[in-house]
Formats: sequence, structure tokens, C-alpha cells
Amino acid sequence: MVLKTLEVLGPLHGYGVARRIEQISGDLLSVNQGTLYPVLLKLEQDGAISSEWGESENRRKARFYSLTSAGQKQLQAETADWEQTAAIMTRFCTFKVEDVKS
Amino acid sequence: MNRFRGFLGRLSAAILERRRDEDRLRIEVEEHLELQTADNIRCGMSPIEARRQAVLKFGAVEAIKEEYRDQRGIPFLETLIHDVRHSLRRLRNSPAFAATTILTLALGIGATTSIFTLVHAVLLKSLPVSKPEQLYRLGKEPHCCVWGGYSQGDEFSIVSTELYYHLRDHTQGFEELAAFQAAGSVFGVRRLQGSNPAAESFDGKFVSGNYFAMFGVGAYAGRALTPADDQPGAPLVAVISYRAWQRYRLDPSVIGGAFQINGKPFTVVGVAPPGFYGDTLKNAPPAFFLPLETEPLVQGDSSMLRQQDRHWLDMIGRIRPDAQASSIEAQMRIGLRDWLRSHLADMNANDRTRFPQQTLHLAPGGAGITSMRREYEHWLQILMMVSGFVLLIVCANVANLLLVRGMERRQQTSLSMALGARPARLIREALTESIVLSLLGGLAGIAVAFAGTRLILNLTFQNVVDSPIAASPSLPVLGFAFAISLLTGIGFGIAPAWLALRADPIEALRGRSRSTSAGASLPRKMLVILQAALTLSLLCASGLLTKTLQRLEHLDFGFQREQRTILNIDPTQAGYRPAQFDSLYRRLRDSLGAIPGVESVAFCLYSPQSGDSWNDMLFVAGRAAPGPSENNVAWLNRITPGYFETVGSPILRGRGIVEQDTASSLRVAVVSESFVRKFFKDEEPIGKHFGNAEFALAGSYEIVGVVKDAYYIPDDLGRAPVPMFFLPEAQSTVYAGAANNAGEVRSHVLHDAILRQRPGASAIPDEQVRRALAAVDPNLPAVRIQTLEDQVAGNFSQQRLIARLTSLFGILALTLASIGLYGVTAYTVGSRTGEIGVRMALGASRGNVVSMILRGASALIACGLLLGLPLALAAGQFLGSQLYGVNQRDPETLVFSAFALLAPAWIAALIPALRASSISPVQALRAE
Repeated sequence: MVLKTLEVLGPLHGYGVARRIEQISGDLLSVNQGTLYPVLLKLEQDGAISSEWGESENRRKARFYSLTSAGQKQLQAETADWEQTAAIMTRFCTFKVEDVKS
Repeated sequence: MNRFRGFLGRLSAAILERRRDEDRLRIEVEEHLELQTADNIRCGMSPIEARRQAVLKFGAVEAIKEEYRDQRGIPFLETLIHDVRHSLRRLRNSPAFAATTILTLALGIGATTSIFTLVHAVLLKSLPVSKPEQLYRLGKEPHCCVWGGYSQGDEFSIVSTELYYHLRDHTQGFEELAAFQAAGSVFGVRRLQGSNPAAESFDGKFVSGNYFAMFGVGAYAGRALTPADDQPGAPLVAVISYRAWQRYRLDPSVIGGAFQINGKPFTVVGVAPPGFYGDTLKNAPPAFFLPLETEPLVQGDSSMLRQQDRHWLDMIGRIRPDAQASSIEAQMRIGLRDWLRSHLADMNANDRTRFPQQTLHLAPGGAGITSMRREYEHWLQILMMVSGFVLLIVCANVANLLLVRGMERRQQTSLSMALGARPARLIREALTESIVLSLLGGLAGIAVAFAGTRLILNLTFQNVVDSPIAASPSLPVLGFAFAISLLTGIGFGIAPAWLALRADPIEALRGRSRSTSAGASLPRKMLVILQAALTLSLLCASGLLTKTLQRLEHLDFGFQREQRTILNIDPTQAGYRPAQFDSLYRRLRDSLGAIPGVESVAFCLYSPQSGDSWNDMLFVAGRAAPGPSENNVAWLNRITPGYFETVGSPILRGRGIVEQDTASSLRVAVVSESFVRKFFKDEEPIGKHFGNAEFALAGSYEIVGVVKDAYYIPDDLGRAPVPMFFLPEAQSTVYAGAANNAGEVRSHVLHDAILRQRPGASAIPDEQVRRALAAVDPNLPAVRIQTLEDQVAGNFSQQRLIARLTSLFGILALTLASIGLYGVTAYTVGSRTGEIGVRMALGASRGNVVSMILRGASALIACGLLLGLPLALAAGQFLGSQLYGVNQRDPETLVFSAFALLAPAWIAALIPALRASSISPVQALRAE
């Protein structure tokens, strides 16, 4: 989700990412926003995102995260993975008795 | 890949970016909250409520920070670094504990490593050649150095030139089978270049042409010897060792340079590789390697090359990778049998009866000819045992110290537990501390090992210019000692922490200053007892060895050691022929006798305790020939007139050898007391006749005198001296056998001149001796000049080394055991402070308290002594044959060792006892 957010919206600071995820998920996902930071750090260490200091809307120092090309690839891979998983799940969920008989 | 990159990032983060990351997170969180608050305010909340909601939404900041940190670095590594820092800090706070432990470990590891390095080099190491596992040598036991006849006890392990060629040509499966002189030779070498007229003495060896090829050793410079060099009539060439080349300052013109070896012109064609010391690990490795075929030319009349029954060569062969050693051995046995059968006609009766039993054995030869091994084996085993004991004591001591420390920290551990520390974390802390200690000790140990190895090698190879063993500690051994101490550290570092963990924290906290239960201190007491026992046996062993050494040094040798100088020469090196010997020795005697302070000069075949000897079959006139199993061996020495006065052996009956014994007069002999005991028991020896080597010549010599027994052979010390007979240089015998005649000629080459000083004269300077020698013949080098005292002492250098090292180890063990006892007593006293206070409050005197504590310590030592007694006796048994004139169970030594152990032990116990008794009861009770 973090990667997708960054892909769509470009560089963002931590709060921005948290807000967007909340908004996109329609406030359905409201975990503690703080847990985002360890995740961001992990992604950065894996090389999927990079970060630099910038200035936020209220003119304060903030860290902006942006997607790297490695992150792009990872996002594609994970999207494909997810779509496959989702497709399988969908098939199972829409599974009816007639499907087998025919 | 991602994972790896992540790891790298974390690693660098852990090391470099700690502080910065912490700041970064703080700023980010702050910013996050700020933005959220701003959003909330926009939504209509009051600023305070907005802030509160923002914090709520963010979650537990500290927990997230913790998670963040875990993600950022490598928690294990960081804790480790933290733990190491912490333990170093703690060790700095208790310097006495740290210093004792590290010192103990250093001494233990260092001493053990030095000894084992020596053992490794002498007993276990292969020759520095390629694929030593393919090498096989002839003979399970080396037969040094020359054997005559056609039978050799249990096995043929030394061969004549003819037998070598026979075996080489009739055996399949060897890639190369090389032979080489079993004894070394000493050559007089002159380099024919520049103005260097004096001949120098070098050790050398005759080797077959394929010697270097068989070892797979090439030349370091120039070329190695080849079979083409080992042909009759081939140009005279030699290869020198790298060490010898160093003596020529690595001069490149040495290769291809002209040399005179024993007066014959040789060309040096190459230099052997630096690490190569030939086939045998010994004190003086050969410097010059000459082809076998040059032997008759170099050795002249004493040559053995063409004598079929003079066995003077050792053999080592490299077998083909697909060949079986056992089948080669079988072929060689047949070869030996065939060869012996072809010589049936030449054999004497004894050889013929022994012919069916003659056989040979092949043994792995990767370690070369192992005479040094035999020589040192027993000593090295003793040293290994001793250092093993010391290592055990060291481990016990370290264990003890760590146990005490662990116990002391029990309350702290309990407190940490009570406050919620994880058990694994606490154990890790204790573990880290012991590992840090062990590592520090190990590092110090490496330093000690380097110094110790050098020291021990210097002591072992005293007076040796070219020691073939490198003076660096062996790495596997160092690793072993290190691992042992590390294991001890780990084991005994964890144990107390583990015990503390299992205790109920409340119990431990409540029981603050009460004495610990008896069970907990049992392991420590056991360790002290063990130490005491081991120390006692070490002290005993060193006592016995020291006593032996003293006995040996004050032994009546049967000659005078003081005021005598030995000059070792070899006239054959300067090309002298038998006919010239008599006049040469006369001229030498006059020249050496003219040195100021010299009272008299005499020559002998070998001087006492020189390491040389000469034995032969002996036949008494008028008696039947001895049977094959009868021992009729006696030792021959050849001397010039005035010898006995010069060496200081009193004539007991008859006369010595005098000027009147000439080539034309009656052939005479002087015999020793033990000679009389062996051959003329209950008979009057003077006037009797005997002969050597050949039965037909039993009437050769008439006995004209009996001389006091003297110890000539170093191995004899501790036993009765060998039977000896002395013949005059001026007379000689003509034998039937060619070999015997060659031997007779060799026996006229007198190697040692004995110079007796005038009473009160100062020692004779070597330089004057050399000048007197050069005045007679500048081609004649002095092989060795030393006082007779030094020559005798040289034979005890091993004994002295072992006695010294064992004493050193004994003292080390004693120190360690005392430290151990001190530690235990001090700890017991400390934990019984309360109890002692109560006792004193109830009226116990200081004396009572001291004696109570001393009783406890003495009980430990007494147990140690009891346990150590059988160990000490076993040690004495093990030393057994090395003890000369000292009882293995010498009670004096035992008692002395016991007291040597008790005295420092009591002192070690007294210090804490006195401290305990000076506690004021009030103070002690208040501590409760």
C-alpha cells in the first residue's frame, strides 16, 4: 500500500502517506499511524524507496519518501502476486456446484 | 538480494548512524504529530484536544521507537557491543580479579603452547618435502650408524652400498628409492676464492644421486644433485644447504664456485631450499650434500662404499601412488634374502646361523629418520604431562575465580530478575564477561607463547648454530589451548548465572549477607583440592628431577673435569694418511704443549662424554669362541702416551701407555676395572692376552695395566661404566678381513686432544689453541674447542632443561593453587561475616576465629595432599628411568614438596582469616 501510494502520488512525507492510506481505504484501515515508520524504514533499507529532507506544507523540516526503480519492480511483482491471489480467492468465493458438474 | 542489501544497510546503520537515526525519527514523529494536530484543528477541535487526538492516533511513541530501533540496527550485535563495553567496565572496576584471571590464562596458554610446539616440531611434524605421505623408510628402528657383517638383530634397517643397489634394482613400485649416509660426516671445507686460507669445518652427508628427486625437492638456486653426478668418474660436485649459503653471505658466486672438501676439488652446483634440513631432524643438519660415489675419494682409507658388508646407508623411497607398501615390503624381503644367500660364503658362523631370521620392515617415512624423536621422546612426554597438568590447574583456577565472581553477583542478578530482566539476557551478560576475559587472557597467552617458544628452543638447542626448528608457536596448538580456556570460561561463567536464575529472587534478596549453603561452595572446594593434588605431584616430579641432576653433576666420573680443554680435530679432513699420523700427533703435541699454561697434551680416539664410542667383539686368549647369544662386546679407545695422567684417571695396577710402546715393541693394552670384572672375574688380569674383531687374533694384546673405571658413554650414567680397553696409537694389528683392517685404520684417527692446564693457570684461550694448530698445518680445522667441564655438562643439558622447566611449572602451579585457595577462603570469610560477628559477640576470641578459618583451609589442603600422594607416586613411576640414583618414591622429596605446598597455602588462607578476625562484632552485625 505504501508503495502504491507513493507511485500514484509521488514523493510524500510520513504523515502524507498515513493520511492517503486512510483516505484511500475509506477510513476502514485506521491502525496506529506510528507503526508506519518502522515499515518505511524497512522499505528504505530494502532499497524500494528513498528519502530526503524537504519542507512540509507548514514550512517545517520533513522527510519525503519517493519510489525507486527497484521499488517500482517490487510493486509490480507484488501487484501481480496479489492479483493472482485475489483472482484465486474470487474464483473460490464465486464457486458453485454447477461449475464442477459441467 | 534485497535481504542482503537490507542487512548491509542495517549493519552500517548499527555502526555509523545510531545517533543520527534517533534524531531523524524524533523529527519525523514530531512533524507527524504537528501535521495531524493542524488537520484536527482544521476539523474544529480545540488545540489541546487536537494534540491529544493526534498522539492517540499515532499510538505508543516509545513502543514504536523501540520497534523502529529493532528494524534499524541489528539488535543482537548492538547488545553484544553494549555487553562487551559493560563487561570491560566491570572488569576495570575489579582490577585484581581481572588481572589474576588474565595472568593465569596467559601463563597457562603460553606455557602449554610453547611445550606443545616443541613436541609438535620434534615428534609429529613431517619433513618439509612434497607429499611426505608417499615416503617409506627402511626399518622400524634406525640402526645408527655403521653395522658390519651379514646379520642385524631383529631387522635390516641399514644397508651397504651393494645391498642398496640390489634392493633398488629388484623392487617394483618405488618411484625413487634413495640411500644416504646414516651417520653424518664432518668435512674440512676451503673455498678457493680470495684470501681465505683456513679450512672450516662443516657437517655433511653422502647421498645417492636421486636423493633430492626422491624427496621432490628442487634446488633453491643452481641445480640439485642428479643420478648422473653419482657415477664413478663423474665430475666432483656438491649441493650446499641454504644455511651454509648464509654463512657465505648468500654470495651468488658460491654456485659454480670451486671448493676443497677434505682436500679434494669440488664444484658447488646448487643450494637446497631454505626449509630443507635433509632426511633427519637433528641439531646439526648437513651443510654439504655429496654424491655417494665421491665417498672413497673424500674419506680415503676409511671408505665404506665398496665394502659389501659395511652397512652405512639409510634408505627412504617414494612409492608410486598405485603401489602397495606391503607388496613392496614383501619384494624387498625376497631381495634381502637373495642378496644374503649370494654372500653365504663370506659369512662367519654366527651370521650363517642367524641367516634364516633376517628380515626387513618398511615404515612410513614422511617424518624422516627419527633418531631425534627417540632421543627426546621421553623428555617431551614428561614435559607434555607437566604442561597438561598446569593447563588443568589454570582451568581450575579460572573456573574458581569465575564461580566466586558469579556468586558475588547473585544478589544483583536476583534484583535484575525481580525488575523483569529476561533470563537469557542475564546469562548472555555473564557469558560475555567470561568470553571477554578468556579472549584477553588468550591474547596475553599468545604473547607468552611467542616468548616461551623462543626460550624453550634456545634452551633445548643450546650451543647449536643451526636449529632446524622454527621458533614460532604452532597455530593448531595455540588454538587448542585457547579453545580449552575459552570453554572453561564459558562453562564456569554461565554456571553461577544459571544457578542464580533458578533461585527465587525473593529468597536471594532476603538472604543478603547470610552464609551461602554448603552445597554451593562444594564445586569450588573440589577445584582447590584438585589443584593442590596436581601441584603436589608437579612439585614432587620437579624435586626428583632436580635431585637427579644434582647427583649427576656431582658424580665421580673417574676422570678430572676441571682444568682440561678438549680440542676436536679430524686429520683426514686435511688429507693425512695412516703412515703420517704418528708424526702428526707428535708435532701437534709439541705445538699445543708450548701454549703457556699447558701442563701436558695427549690424544685419544674419543674423549670422555664426547658422545662418540667404539665397540667391538672381544676374544680372550685360551678360551673357546663365544656362542652367538653370548655378549662379548667391549669398548675400544686408542691413546697416546701420558693419556691417563692428562685426563686424570688413576692407574690402579700395572702401568699406563708409555713412549716405549712403539710399533716394534710388544703389543700392549690397558683395561678398565669393569673390563676386568667382565672378562677376568677372580683372575689376575695383568699378563693375560686378548684380541678384538677376529677370534684367530685372540692373543693380540697383553694387558699391562688396569685403570680406574670412567664414564665415557653419556648413556651410561646411572649404570655401571662399560668395559673398556685402551691401545697405543703407535701400534696396530693386521686382520684377515678387509673391513676389519679399514676399521683398524679409522681407529688410528685420534679425534680429541686433551690439554691439561697447569695448576693455578687460567683457562686456555681458544685463539691460542687455533694458532698452535695452524702452526702445524693451516689445512687442519679445529672442529670444536671446549672445556671438559662443558663437554660433560652438555650431556645434561636436557636433564637440566627438564628439571628447570618442571620446577618452573611447579612454582607456577603452586602460585596458582595459592591464588585459588586465597580466593575460596576470602569468599567464605566474606560470606560468613555475619556469622563471625555473632560468634565474636558471643565471646569467641580472635584466635578462635583465625583457627576456625585456617582449619577449613587446612582441611582442603589435606584432602589435596591425600589425593595428590598417589598422583605424585605415579609421576615418580613415570619418571622412573630418568632418575639416576634417586628413589622414585624418595620420601625426602615427598615431604619437602608437601611442605612447599603447605607453607604458601597457609599464608594464602591466613590473610583473609586475619582480616575476618579484625572485624568488630558491631560492624559485622550491622551488615546483616
